[in-house]
Amino acid sequence: MIDDRNDLDAAIVQGLAQAVPQVDPPADLRARVLGSIGAAAVSPPKSGFSGSLMWLATAATLALVLGLSLYTGQLRRRVRAVEADLRLADARAAAGEQQAAEAQRDAAAAQSSLLVLTAPDMTLVNLAGQRAAPNASARAAWSRSRGMVFTGRNLPPLPAGRVYQLWVVTAQAPVSAGLLRPDAQGGVSGTFVTPPDISAPVALAVTIEPEGGVPAPTGDKYLVGLL
Amino acid sequence: MWSLLALVVPSWTEDRAADRAALIRMARGDQQAVSELYDRHARPVFSLALRVLQDRSAAEDVVQEVFTQAWTQASRYDTGRGAVGAWLMNMARSRAIDRLRATRIRPDSNLARDEMLDVPDGSALQDLQLLSAEQVSAMKLALDALPALQRIALELAYFEGLTHMEIADRLEQPLGTVKTRIRQALIKLRDSLQALQA
Repeated sequence: MIDDRNDLDAAIVQGLAQAVPQVDPPADLRARVLGSIGAAAVSPPKSGFSGSLMWLATAATLALVLGLSLYTGQLRRRVRAVEADLRLADARAAAGEQQAAEAQRDAAAAQSSLLVLTAPDMTLVNLAGQRAAPNASARAAWSRSRGMVFTGRNLPPLPAGRVYQLWVVTAQAPVSAGLLRPDAQGGVSGTFVTPPDISAPVALAVTIEPEGGVPAPTGDKYLVGLL
Repeated sequence: MWSLLALVVPSWTEDRAADRAALIRMARGDQQAVSELYDRHARPVFSLALRVLQDRSAAEDVVQEVFTQAWTQASRYDTGRGAVGAWLMNMARSRAIDRLRATRIRPDSNLARDEMLDVPDGSALQDLQLLSAEQVSAMKLALDALPALQRIALELAYFEGLTHMEIADRLEQPLGTVKTRIRQALIKLRDSLQALQA
């Protein structure tokens, strides 16, 4: 029975051992093993063959099997070595691709942020925590032509089914810039695209909204910063 | 499905009572009992040694050592501990890895034991057990389903006795990544056995 963690570990150890491809040991190994402990004479190998004809046939077969097994043994070792190299190469390639994709995403995000931060029309906005989150704060760099870089901290954890939404508040109506999901420490950062033809903005705000976001703000304000 | 798989998996999980009886006879000096034990377990023992060493001749030497050790230690083996076959397998893996280590250059051979793999090596297991055919089949399926990096890291730890650091070097991966992959692999294998039990 497998009852607890330790027993399971023991089971895994045995499972790994038993899961290896099963290979017959050479026929003469039995006699060598038993001979080494003085048991060979006591226990002849089990065999269904008997008689001189059978011995001749067995000897011929053994010679053939020995030759073949030497050759197949060599081939098997070479195939295993190639397979092992291939699996190592596959693993390295998979890990490399993953790292490359992550690096590419990081580079793209950094490039987007740099474009916003170096925009000639860039405006810095400090957002202050509101009554729902007095300790929260954020800073945003907004460019009409290139979008927004937003970094917030100390945002309260989101309840299930809710998300923070970032708004560019204009004289007409707030325009959604995107959704924010803070990490376990309440930090969040990202680059957002805002419509270049947006009418004169007066403020940035973060509200809490239903998962997926909404076309116009409905929830409490968590962060507000005037432009 | 499992019962069908059980038919095609070697049924060497049987005869446990006969194994225990053979060991008791060996402890009394009955050499015939060794040959019975050999006939039942030489194949899996040889297969495991061959998997570790990738060398038939060296694997044959390990088989010889294992059964010689079983003969000399039969009187000290507590048959209440569990399956004799599992005991033989543990000896085979341990001796095969010792040989592998002896031939490997070990620049960091002073590593503390706790820096080595946390895949249990079986040497200190109190309840030696053999898995049933369906448990082995479930384990094989789970192994096949592991992502390449997890499986290779686990196999390097278990079959080559490499430390996490050595695996990280071999795979050219960060140490933390290697530890995580091995842990994830063990969790999946554990889950596969638990799912079977459920």
